[in-house]
Amino acid sequence: MKISMRGSITVLLTIFSISLVFLLNDEGEIRILFNLLTFAGIYGLAAIGLNVHFGLTGLLNFGHAAFMGLGAYVTILLIPHAAGREGEVVTTGLPFFIAVIIGVVSAALFGLLLGLPAIRLRGDYLAIVTIAAAEIFRLLVRDLESVTGGVYGIINFSNSLQQYRLGFIENFSSAYDLNPAQIWVAFLSWTSIFIVLLLLKRLTRSPWGRALKAVREDEDAVRALGKNAVWLKLQSFMLGAGIAGLSGVFLAFNYGTVQVSTFVPILTFYVWAIMILGGVGSLTGPIFGSIMFWVIISETNGIAELIFENADGQQIAGVRFVLVGLLIMILMIFRPSGLMGKKEELLLDVK
Amino acid sequence: MSNNYLEVTNLKKSFGGLQAVNVESIKLKKNELTSIIGPNGAGKTTFFDLISGFQDSDDGKVILNNRNITKSQSYTIARLGMVRTFQLTKVFDRMTVLENMMFSASKVDNDSFIKSLVKPPSQKNKEIDIKEKSFEIMKNLNIGHMANSYARELSGGQKKLLELGRSIINDPEILLLDEPLAGVNPKLAEEILEIILNLSKNGISILMVEHNIEAVMKISERVIVFAEGKVIADDIPENVRNDKKVIEAYLGSENE
Repeated sequence: MKISMRGSITVLLTIFSISLVFLLNDEGEIRILFNLLTFAGIYGLAAIGLNVHFGLTGLLNFGHAAFMGLGAYVTILLIPHAAGREGEVVTTGLPFFIAVIIGVVSAALFGLLLGLPAIRLRGDYLAIVTIAAAEIFRLLVRDLESVTGGVYGIINFSNSLQQYRLGFIENFSSAYDLNPAQIWVAFLSWTSIFIVLLLLKRLTRSPWGRALKAVREDEDAVRALGKNAVWLKLQSFMLGAGIAGLSGVFLAFNYGTVQVSTFVPILTFYVWAIMILGGVGSLTGPIFGSIMFWVIISETNGIAELIFENADGQQIAGVRFVLVGLLIMILMIFRPSGLMGKKEELLLDVK
Repeated sequence: MSNNYLEVTNLKKSFGGLQAVNVESIKLKKNELTSIIGPNGAGKTTFFDLISGFQDSDDGKVILNNRNITKSQSYTIARLGMVRTFQLTKVFDRMTVLENMMFSASKVDNDSFIKSLVKPPSQKNKEIDIKEKSFEIMKNLNIGHMANSYARELSGGQKKLLELGRSIINDPEILLLDEPLAGVNPKLAEEILEIILNLSKNGISILMVEHNIEAVMKISERVIVFAEGKVIADDIPENVRNDKKVIEAYLGSENE
């Protein structure tokens, strides 16, 4: 396999950012590293879904958090759990793998449902509708306390997944003093990334992928050539939403609880940042974008302490946003196509 | 079956107070090369949008090959064999020239999600056929050497050629060309005219909007003149050239 210049630079940058974890921490480096790699896997998966929408099809979706949330809530409500203020216990449920399939399909169908009226809107208008829909979803989940547990969320569901934990995960975790539950989630989300990328690679190099790209470039021309652009966009919307739904499931299992406060707009913006960092339209970009993003997020303490003496929580949170913003700005100046994006297929015209 | 491929009756469209299109009747015969001319703002492009399903008419009827397409979707109309181009060339910028052609050549069932995931041999073979056909047409249009360039790298004229190639790859019955010569250098304009004439000779009916009067008069068998949304002349080129109303419409618009 030919390794491109772009790819080598990206890999070097990723190794560099991972080594930052070891430079900036005196103890527990391995644990910090695996914690951030878990989040990187989950958010990377979400960014891959978003890339199907925006990178491949040109759909401005700003409601990604809702797709993630729907996947998570549907899956977890179908397995044994405890919900709400009283921690109402539901002991019966479907096996995890069936529940997760239903969760992912529900997220995809939510994409269809939202897409049917909204997908005809172009560009910014779709962005507005999706962000509104995501907020409606969040508020509904918050207020339907009898079903979703409202602000109290849902707990005690992890065992459905953890009971399948493989032996080598245990061994690995105990060898490095890691939390095996988290490592299992990390393992599954990175495996999902691998499988999803294989499928997407197949799809993007197919007539279907070509048609989506054509929709991204010029919808009118697509229609003039006898293709139903709306249906193509709906298919893309469903696929990306399904992938987001799966990442939402992993996010919930990583926290061990599902809270409505997880699926807020900032989650969507993080996923956007990851996609832009990695390179819009690039299949593997979100992986690298996600790792770098999470290095910044988790190492902000160390970096903030380089700037302020005894940084407090507020200062650290500020520095976090400044760093992400700075990184995106630098990237847009020197590498507007992101880490792995092709210059010729630059989608974000920042000029 | 009538000899008309396209029959337009009482087609109306207004934007606010402006009557953009108000066409009483246009009947186009098979295999004819017809041009629409008229001053800017005469409603030519709107007329195209209406008959190709890109805009909904307020009133009227459009019949394509004895089929009522008044309310049809644009992509349905294209599948029925009436394919249009655009005044501002619309190529898929960030796709290669070959991909542009292949997308157009690929039929809807070939594009299906399931097939693209499974990739049966039938799809592979289809793709090979499509690729061959694309190269053949690109070669004829002198853009074969650009096959693997991104379409955004083409010159304005080459983009026109690509758009034309994309439109004819599925052997349409009717081509609606919206200003195929706009912004093209004189030499290339000659070539494009030649291509249009050849398409017409090969049995494709052509309706074209064009501002280059000389070119229109040279190649058209019939010229329709629009002014303020209405048809003010519809005849062979010689007669249109000497039509008083036509001269007035053009001079009038220049005096304003």
